[in-house]
Amino acid sequence: MRSRLGTFAVALLLALFVNLRAIAAAPPDFDHDVKPILEQYCFKCHGPEKQKAGLRLDQKPSALKGGESGEPAIVPGNALKSHLLQLVTTNDPEQAMPPKGDRLKPQEVALLQRWVETGAHWVDQSQPAVEIVAVNPDAPISDRDRQFWSFVAPRRVAPPVTRNVAWSRTVIDRFVLAGLEARQLEPSGDAPKAVVVRRLSYDLTGLPPAPDEVEAFLGDEAADAYERLVDRLLASPAFGERLASLWLPLARYGEDQAHQVGSDTKLFYPNAWRYREWVVNAFNRDLPYDKFLLFQIAADKLPEATPDDQAALGFIGLGPKYYNRGRIEVMADEWEDRVDTVMRTTQGLTVACARCHDHKFDPISSRDYYALAGVFASTRMVNKTADGKVQKADAKAEQVDPATLHIVEDAEPHDLNLFIRGNVNRKGPLVPRHFLSVLSSGEPAPFKEGSGRKELALAIADRNNPLTARVIANRIWGQFFGQPIVLTPSNFGHSGQPPANPELLDHLALSLMDNGWSIKSLVREIVLSSTYRQSPAGNAKNARVDPANEMLWRMNRRRLTVEQWRDAVLFASGRLETGGGKSVDLDDAANVRRTLYARISRLKLNDLLMQFDYPDPNVHSEKRSVTNTPIQKLFVLNSPFMIAQSKALAARLAADAPQSEEARIRYAYQVLFAHGPNEAEMKLGIEFLQEPEDSPMTRWQQYAQILLASNEALYVD
Amino acid sequence: MSIDAPFLNRRQLLQRTAAGFGSAALAALIGSPARALSTAAFPHVPAPLFKPRAKRVIFLFMNGGPSHVDTFDPKPALAKFAGQQPSGELFKKSKGSGFMPSPLTFAKYGQSGIDVSSTLPHIARVIDDCCIVRSMHTDVPNHEPALLQMHTGNVQPIRPSLGSWLVYGLGSENENLPGYVVLRPSNQIVVGPALWSNSFLPAQYQATSVNTSDMHVEKLLANIKNPALTRPQQRQQLDLLGQLNESHLKQRDGDPQLEAQIQTMETAFRMQAEAMNTFDIGREPQSVRDLYGDSPFARSCLLARRLVEDGVRFVTVYYTATGTQPWDTHTNHDATHPKLCRDSDQATAALIADLKARGMLEDTLVVWGGEFGRTPYAENKESAKAGRDHHHTAFSMLLAGGGIKAGQAYGASDDFGMVATEKPVHVHDLHATLLHLVGLDHEKLTYRYAGRDFRLTDVFGNVVKDICVS
Repeated sequence: MRSRLGTFAVALLLALFVNLRAIAAAPPDFDHDVKPILEQYCFKCHGPEKQKAGLRLDQKPSALKGGESGEPAIVPGNALKSHLLQLVTTNDPEQAMPPKGDRLKPQEVALLQRWVETGAHWVDQSQPAVEIVAVNPDAPISDRDRQFWSFVAPRRVAPPVTRNVAWSRTVIDRFVLAGLEARQLEPSGDAPKAVVVRRLSYDLTGLPPAPDEVEAFLGDEAADAYERLVDRLLASPAFGERLASLWLPLARYGEDQAHQVGSDTKLFYPNAWRYREWVVNAFNRDLPYDKFLLFQIAADKLPEATPDDQAALGFIGLGPKYYNRGRIEVMADEWEDRVDTVMRTTQGLTVACARCHDHKFDPISSRDYYALAGVFASTRMVNKTADGKVQKADAKAEQVDPATLHIVEDAEPHDLNLFIRGNVNRKGPLVPRHFLSVLSSGEPAPFKEGSGRKELALAIADRNNPLTARVIANRIWGQFFGQPIVLTPSNFGHSGQPPANPELLDHLALSLMDNGWSIKSLVREIVLSSTYRQSPAGNAKNARVDPANEMLWRMNRRRLTVEQWRDAVLFASGRLETGGGKSVDLDDAANVRRTLYARISRLKLNDLLMQFDYPDPNVHSEKRSVTNTPIQKLFVLNSPFMIAQSKALAARLAADAPQSEEARIRYAYQVLFAHGPNEAEMKLGIEFLQEPEDSPMTRWQQYAQILLASNEALYVD
Repeated sequence: MSIDAPFLNRRQLLQRTAAGFGSAALAALIGSPARALSTAAFPHVPAPLFKPRAKRVIFLFMNGGPSHVDTFDPKPALAKFAGQQPSGELFKKSKGSGFMPSPLTFAKYGQSGIDVSSTLPHIARVIDDCCIVRSMHTDVPNHEPALLQMHTGNVQPIRPSLGSWLVYGLGSENENLPGYVVLRPSNQIVVGPALWSNSFLPAQYQATSVNTSDMHVEKLLANIKNPALTRPQQRQQLDLLGQLNESHLKQRDGDPQLEAQIQTMETAFRMQAEAMNTFDIGREPQSVRDLYGDSPFARSCLLARRLVEDGVRFVTVYYTATGTQPWDTHTNHDATHPKLCRDSDQATAALIADLKARGMLEDTLVVWGGEFGRTPYAENKESAKAGRDHHHTAFSMLLAGGGIKAGQAYGASDDFGMVATEKPVHVHDLHATLLHLVGLDHEKLTYRYAGRDFRLTDVFGNVVKDICVS
């Protein structure tokens, strides 16, 4: 060894003018000496993000194995046989590495050589470091932990018997009514038909009903008139668009990154809309919810997923990519995003809290966190072309073929070391990839297939998982009542809220699963209930007992979401275009498509979306805030969009109801509010319109704007 | 106004608010006095624990990172050891021609005798109103993470900004104006809107971002003026809208959320007039305009003063008129840096003097600085065009007014300006101190999100008591 090293040193001295003393020093330390060199010159193309020529140098096993050339990149003890050393020293421009930029300095080459010669000692992730921490020794899950309400399977109980037997239409109603009666609350009666048809239409399609639809429903005396209306709306393609508005912010859907270096677009997602389209279609074809999740996490590993279903992987593949992806601490942030998004969306658990320490409230250990993070560390984000090829990662957004999907595939599977206090430089024990301990019976079984994504997906989409059905049923319920049963829809843990009506939540969860995970069936059951059809009118006696209406003794009056509101304005003006496809910016004056199809930017969220409470697309959003700001009103009063729609509405009214001013006003009310004006409203309108024309906006245009700006246009009863 | 609050305890109110159901509560509280906002709607926000010194903040942000050794931190040793390579641990190995002395002269100014470089003569004149922190440090010497850290405390872009936190904690002073305004002479800013994001804080804490390249008021603020209707015409329109909304409200038992919408519409109407006035620097006498100078940054500083004067809580002025990050002087540093200083110097000093003349300096906090400093050694070899690289282990910031103990230079870097050695102040410490000065405890100003209580300072930060008036 010594003599070989000596020979080498002489060779180096001659070839590279290296200081002999450096070579004679102690063996180089990987972390301190070697890794910085590899980081600077190699990891960008042969690291966690890219593995050009199949070579990955940031992990010992793959570095030893080498890339597609078949030659080992590193042969411990033999620098001459190490392909890495050959390529960083060769003078052949075809072969030389790195291909662009500075070559390694002679001292750096010498260091690498010496490190290889002395055995390539490498303390990396696959070799647990010296530092072993006092992590709660494998944090055994106690029986008590497992008995927390959300970790126990939904309980099947007989629908309760209630004193009032006339009010309930469905099983849901009996659970709600039992809750009301227990608190001496009276349920409200049905809202008028005109109110219900508008409410139902907004809830199932995100759009108001057209005047003729309202008329048809009001005139339909048949006993099943409402049921037929529900079924018609459920079959509308707009149903999937409405449900997608719920799903996309959970999936932190975005089409670019929160920041951009210069004008670099290579980390953007120009075809993100293909994932959105898949989500819309999945709701429309009523893809069972278990499959809906399976495909979004592991469509690439499931035989039943079609080529079209690969777009579902955008759920993970459209995740944020942060600055400086070559660095381990940056990748650790990205893994947190994946764990957080998947686990809060599907399980309602804040697992990411356990990145730096065992979860403070829930039985989720840091080991559990790294067991899941390992799945995403073994998964890479790729742009995949229609023929299944991985596109070069440095393609600019403009060069990406429209058929290319931004999805994921397995990288080299590997477990992660637990990072002590989340610090990537302090490695704890190696943690096998597996599912959450508290949701596994006994010890969680290690994931064996590739990255483990498929096993993760199966553990989530499992009928025996106590959270999956409850979490989505709670979210869907929240869509229809303005408040979910669990007020913290992405936190079903100890620091979240307990369900206001646990039996109801369990009924909904079981009903979803019993009906083959059909979302449409669940929605149908909800909207057919008397609970849903209630009037929003107040009741002083009830309000004293339950002012927040937690038990649903009436319907909540709800402000429209930005999607519903803008769509309704375009619907009223007659300009709304159906269809989706590639995203268009909302600021584009020609954009009259549904708001769902707007471009969603993480870098700069569109002002209208931002001002009207569309959530930050950088992170999973469990719910929207509902704010009321003057900036919103300035948009309503003065924006070019609102003025254009006011003019269009006035023109539409003139065309569709030319008979008289009264007829036009009546028609306007029907278009916007699904009912005619009362006498006073009619009189006020006529008076306003009779004033002389005094501005570039006609009286009718001004009046149309008033109706669009009204509270009635912003709320659904 | 209150919603059906008599029946709701705080916890219920918060739950409803958090569930996106308490819009009325929020609406009613927008623009109401700080105390009402912080104690009624958000039990997580403590009432100010100490007497707040500052009521409002102006952050003058020098994008790219000004050089501490050419502004407020003189290092004669750089001349003595010019050309020598720095030793010790460096983020990036020095590839240039070694230590690079500042060509500028420094002198002591004011009663306090603080050293200021010759490129900052105006600031030198108001130096007794300022505190220079010479021992700032941050985590990463790259623009993106350092910018994010200075603005949000975190190096990744998913946290609320300092301004959003502050407005969340204090509420607005004037309901007819936005609480948090960002002034930027161009749209091109490295990182961009993530710097003033409200992130997971509700939308009323978001910044109103204003491009100041054209100072005509209608150009500054989107949708501030109706293109077709005069004010009386719009008033007539709103009168009818008000009548229809009242009738709608009456049929719905006076639902408070509907009533709040009616009020907000009226606020917006008033805001048009008030904002048109406040945002119009053309209303300033020429003498005041001359005081600030006539550059995009100077005009923004003047606008910032008008804004805080009328009750805006937090204003950031970005120095980006001449590029995305003008202070990033990697080459030709000695020629470029003084020019930037000249422009920034006059307007910054004018702002401090102007606030003082109006009696506003004592409760208005002015902060001047960038995301990091610049290397005391040259980045490249050609000495004629030498530049300075990013430097994060020591840099300087200027603070004035709003409870700052003025007339002192606090902390120190080593003889070469390499590392903050004496009383180091991390960005988290700066944030903790700024919140302290407005009366907020950085450990108690929290927002529950994703199952935990987030803070601007995460688990870090110490108030630098020595730079605060006790």
